[in-house]
Amino acid sequence: MKKLVLGLVAIALVILVVSSLSSKLPSYEPDRDYLDLEEALVKEFIFAKDSSVIELPEGHFLFSQSLSLDNKKHLTIRGKGMDKTVLSFKGQKSGAEGIKITNSQHITLEDFTIEDAAGDNLKVSETDTLIIRRIRSAWTGEVSEENGAYALYPVLSTNVLIEQSEVIGSSDAGIYVGQSDKVIIRNNKAFFNVAGVESENSTNVEIYENEVFNNTSGLLIFNLPGLTMSGGHVKAHNNLVYDNNLSNFAVKGSIVSAVPKGTGVIVMATKDVTLFDNEIKDHKTSNMSIVSYELFALEQEDAELSDDAEDRGLRGIDADFKNDLDYNPYSGRVYAYQNRFENRFFVPTFSNDFGLLWAFKNGFKIPDIAYDGIIAEDGKLQDKAHLICLKNNEGASFAYLDASNDFEGFTTDDKMFECEGE
Amino acid sequence: MKASKAYLFLGLTSLLFVACAEDKNIPPKARKVSSTILQNSTVSQELEQLSAYGFFKGELSKLEPETNVYPYDINTPLFSNYALKERFVYLPDATKMRFEENGPMRFEDGSILIKNFRYEHLEEDDQTNASKLVETRLLLNREGKWIPLNYIWNEEQTDAYLNYTGSVVPIKYRHTDGKLKTFEYVVPNNNQCKNCHSIDNEISPVGMTAAQLNKEYSFISAQINQLNYFKTEERLIGMNNLDEVVVMPIWNEVSSGNIENRAHAYLDANCAHCHSKRGSAKNSGLYLEYQQTDQRARGVYKPPVAAGKGSGDFQYGIVPGKAEESIFTYRMASVDPAIRMPELGRSVVHQEGLELIKAYINQMQSSN
Repeated sequence: MKKLVLGLVAIALVILVVSSLSSKLPSYEPDRDYLDLEEALVKEFIFAKDSSVIELPEGHFLFSQSLSLDNKKHLTIRGKGMDKTVLSFKGQKSGAEGIKITNSQHITLEDFTIEDAAGDNLKVSETDTLIIRRIRSAWTGEVSEENGAYALYPVLSTNVLIEQSEVIGSSDAGIYVGQSDKVIIRNNKAFFNVAGVESENSTNVEIYENEVFNNTSGLLIFNLPGLTMSGGHVKAHNNLVYDNNLSNFAVKGSIVSAVPKGTGVIVMATKDVTLFDNEIKDHKTSNMSIVSYELFALEQEDAELSDDAEDRGLRGIDADFKNDLDYNPYSGRVYAYQNRFENRFFVPTFSNDFGLLWAFKNGFKIPDIAYDGIIAEDGKLQDKAHLICLKNNEGASFAYLDASNDFEGFTTDDKMFECEGE
Repeated sequence: MKASKAYLFLGLTSLLFVACAEDKNIPPKARKVSSTILQNSTVSQELEQLSAYGFFKGELSKLEPETNVYPYDINTPLFSNYALKERFVYLPDATKMRFEENGPMRFEDGSILIKNFRYEHLEEDDQTNASKLVETRLLLNREGKWIPLNYIWNEEQTDAYLNYTGSVVPIKYRHTDGKLKTFEYVVPNNNQCKNCHSIDNEISPVGMTAAQLNKEYSFISAQINQLNYFKTEERLIGMNNLDEVVVMPIWNEVSSGNIENRAHAYLDANCAHCHSKRGSAKNSGLYLEYQQTDQRARGVYKPPVAAGKGSGDFQYGIVPGKAEESIFTYRMASVDPAIRMPELGRSVVHQEGLELIKAYINQMQSSN
């Protein structure tokens, strides 16, 4: 009898261990039956004429190389639907991207799936007027740092629309818009990525009606130093951002590897950001955070570098934005109103410094909105450059971190930040 | 009973091995389908065979240049899987190159740059010489625009045939360590040419710069500098004084420059075609032209921007004194398409180039 009990306990333990291991990172495993039409389809891309349509047939097509387009105008690439036309780059030998489009105008991609590229599934660079519509971009299998970085990646582009698309399994960001101007990201789904949606150093960006869940972090609005342009003027509204608590599986060294899991929306070093009518809930670190680049520089401290290199490195990051005279590492003119917050978690994750901070300073409670309070040396809280306005956010709890003064002024009182601003 | 248990155990462990061996980088199988399911079909107007250009006389694979076809060499080339590169420029009658101090020479309509990729080695018996041309790449100047075309050599080595879609060719070569090695040589597709051959989004020659051409080349004459040769042949105009022309160091020739200069030359030839403010990797903020003096732009303590897993858990392009913690060496030592640099045209690691960059990083002062 005793043996039986012991046996049952052992089995229960095994199940527990196994289930906790397997539930750690999710999988996306569609059925695939690959067809080889590589030569003909590569030719289609190479000979694509301006003002034409590349029609992709139904089927799961496997490629050993990137498909690229350069210097095209008014070109559409159209599949038979994202469940029917699949372009897979699993095990590709040449090129890092799945599809790469450069230096083009008026490009539309619609109704197909892109899968398993070695690097980015879709990268579009220096293109004006780009529409990405009903594209599923995914990495199959268990999510892993072996997955490519970006699922949908327009960079250095203008007039970009990404809609009704799905991004799954990116080891960096699912929808990632970098150094671009006039961007709309709407009605998309992002899950199983490190960052669901990221706007980086981009201007005039509108992000709405997206469903962002089960990523490490939901929506990032970032501005980094040393790039061709600075980001700002970003609006995010009517998004549903929930349960982004996945372990961070990004390769270290990338900026998103420093993003703590359990974060809904993060605004970093960006000016003129408006967040309204979003529903943001169930995050183990914080539903919404407004922070400076300095905080991130500090977060990256734990990298496995020798002491000397780490020392220099921190100064390096320091110099990174201090040498970039146009760069402003602080967030400001951030307006958050009429957002709805909820949290089914009562205890924060202790996997990052914020969770620990909430434990020590906030009675283990997870704040809905956290503001690091780091501002320029010659600035003042709530002056024009550093204004943070919070209003009518349903059920929102708050934490002001006072991070530059060892959290001495930590407070949950948001009176100072109640304003209209605009 | 015991035996069967043991077999079961063996079976289970072998299953485990099979599961582990399944690698994301191994391509799955795909069934060939007919291209008739596509709507369009396109026909190229270009010459189908390399021989049709008439660049070479006699046996094509010997690459004996005809009139108006000039061989040339450069100081520090782009590494291409240990292939031997034989370069020629075709200048139509009475046309000239115009000298440019920085950037590639200027060419007239009809000029063609010809680059042949060859492997030469001794077979296992140490007696038989083997030589195999893989591909010949052309850059054709048509009214100021450059058109890239690619020709793949046949097995018999009698001619090379126009190719747009790329190809994978198995290659045997004798490595610098004396051993015979094999690998899959990837011929790029036509659109990929522009990845490297691009300045301000226009297709452009890369290696034909004054600093790169500034050398003697035995194929022409052991004593005459190439630039002077082209000048005396009245094929180069606009060059005043050869002494004022910069010389690109030869990456592996110690007498041609100190380790830093040779590393900068190597990085220029292997990286700067994309990693410059006018190249396709301008979004990275990493700029590696020979003239670049900003250490940060050169990667020193520079964090990656969008390297993805290319950063390999490292934080900076270069950590002075610590090659093993630098993204540069990590990416140069990889052949994974998502990690390796350069992205295209390299299927094997350039061991000697990697050693140079390691030495360059290690000799940098990690002082404060």
